[in-house]
Amino acid sequence: MSDSLSAADNVKTHEIGGGLTKKQAKKIRMETMTKEEIGYLRRKALLDRVWPVFRFLIIFGLSFVILYPLIYMISCAFRERNDMNDPTVMWIPRHFTLEIIKETMTAMDFGETIKNTLILNIGCSLVQVLSCAVTGYGFARFKFKGKGFLFGVVIMMILVPTQIISLPLYNQFRYFGINESISINLIDTMATMYLPALTANGIRSGLMILIFRQFFKGLPRELEDAAYIDGCGPLKTFIRVMVPNAASAFLTVFLFSVVWYWNDYYVSSTFFNNNKTVALMLQNLDSQLRMALFSSSTVEISSREQIVWKEAGCLLSITPILILYTILQKHFTEGIERSGLVG
Amino acid sequence: MSSAESKSGKKARNKLTYERRKSLYGYGFIGIWIIGTLIFFIKPLITSLIWSFNDVTIGKGHTDLKWVGFENFSAAIMDDRTYAENLGATLLETLWKTPLILIFSLFIAVVLNQKFKGRTFARAIFFLPVIIATGPVYKIISGDMDTTGNAGAGQFSTMFSTDLVGELLQFLGVYGISEKLTTLIQSVADNIFGIVWSAGIQILIFLAALQNIPPSAREAAQMEGATSWEYFWKITFPYVSPFILANLIFTAIDSFTSPTNLVMKRILDIKQDWRFGMSSAMAWIYFMIVLIAVAIITAIVNKFIYYEVD
Repeated sequence: MSDSLSAADNVKTHEIGGGLTKKQAKKIRMETMTKEEIGYLRRKALLDRVWPVFRFLIIFGLSFVILYPLIYMISCAFRERNDMNDPTVMWIPRHFTLEIIKETMTAMDFGETIKNTLILNIGCSLVQVLSCAVTGYGFARFKFKGKGFLFGVVIMMILVPTQIISLPLYNQFRYFGINESISINLIDTMATMYLPALTANGIRSGLMILIFRQFFKGLPRELEDAAYIDGCGPLKTFIRVMVPNAASAFLTVFLFSVVWYWNDYYVSSTFFNNNKTVALMLQNLDSQLRMALFSSSTVEISSREQIVWKEAGCLLSITPILILYTILQKHFTEGIERSGLVG
Repeated sequence: MSSAESKSGKKARNKLTYERRKSLYGYGFIGIWIIGTLIFFIKPLITSLIWSFNDVTIGKGHTDLKWVGFENFSAAIMDDRTYAENLGATLLETLWKTPLILIFSLFIAVVLNQKFKGRTFARAIFFLPVIIATGPVYKIISGDMDTTGNAGAGQFSTMFSTDLVGELLQFLGVYGISEKLTTLIQSVADNIFGIVWSAGIQILIFLAALQNIPPSAREAAQMEGATSWEYFWKITFPYVSPFILANLIFTAIDSFTSPTNLVMKRILDIKQDWRFGMSSAMAWIYFMIVLIAVAIITAIVNKFIYYEVD
């Protein structure tokens, strides 16, 4: 009864509205509104206008804070070192040069270093992503005794800093074997990085297992049930059904993994006596530079002028990873909702 | 009657074997991790615990241990002034920095979740710290060049924090505010760099959480005429609250375990002096404090969290 009445009402107002100009219709609408409604709409209109400006300012300002060091890096890397003492030079170098970049490249032994880093970095990342995915899947989908306890160990892996266990680990790698009867020296070999990565114990692997577990938990169970009914074993199901569905999670975790291995200098400096990775070379850039440029370790360069080489080194060492980020960025920034960071 | 019983018994047995089989598969999947963890995590962890109670000398192929009980621990706390001071400073810094990072990253995530032109670009910039902030590059650009034995690092770091803000304030014509306020603004602004740069992953996690809020919740709030303020506290906040805990723990751990923090530095220094027992004891004291802190935080925050029932 009331429905038909309101419908009739609607038709009526519509007819009236049709006969009036827009302004008049608006006036009528305003009159029928309560005070609160008007207030709400006014505030909303104001906010809609002010907020974008405000938002732009915030984002612009903070982007500046983030990009400032990068811009500074680029600016410094292409100037001559006496430009640093020239007070008129702030951003645009007076003497443009590629010399500094070249010198830094020699000092860092860039070609060799990059090759070495890529072998360690990409290899370990790939291996670790796979092993963590398998482990995460095991934790997400199967029930077994001691699962709670074992998952507690995963959390412990996140909590315990590497520095605590690095020394006993060094000893272990130095005399790797069983009961001290057969022991091999693994120090200075790639095995010190690859073995932990292979067994899901590499850099920040706890976090990666956690991410994969959350992600696989979020996938519908029907996917696997269908595969089981069709006669797939668990391993085949995992490879054929679950992995393709988890592509975005793999991408995100892989990017994280590459970044963490790329940036690591603690682990690689502990287990290698003389290893050329980008992070390590940058860490020791100071002494390397002195040896390479002035062939003596006692030359004093003013710290202000050193910045030029430092920034060039920074620029060189983040460029490859920046390129990777730019390529994957689209998947990374727009597709996180599917990447399983959220359980 | 009996046939039904036997039938159900058979069913139970079948189910049991199926479940047992599945649990075996479970062990199969995590087996490789179990082996690795035993060798590369549990064993060294226990070794370092044992070392902390001993006087350790490392020889060729063997380590000589001399049991000293809690001597290392008491020496670390009572005698090593630097360690105790650093411990206090690190705890304090984590205490005030963590909430700031959390609030900041939640705010930025809410902003980046709105629709506007150039959003993808803005996101790309804000995630940039994620790929840079864990490495030596960050160490250099944040002006922390102690480890490379470099003097004059201060001048480099102030170049883009203090001076920048000073210039900005002058540019805006702000001279006359009281000294105290200026120092306050400056100290916050000094740290803005650190906060922005260590909030990358937190923003990422919050953003992912925000994208999980069902559109129906937003529509309902709009129908009821909720203001943005109310919307934030009644809808956004409850939905992201589980991730506030995750982020809180992540932030705390990140700052506790970063190799640049003072306690870590001290531990590594002691290790460099070949005093392994001492350095293990210090590491364990620190680790226990971190563990207790995280447990307390979790217990408190858990009370205020809203979990959506699945």
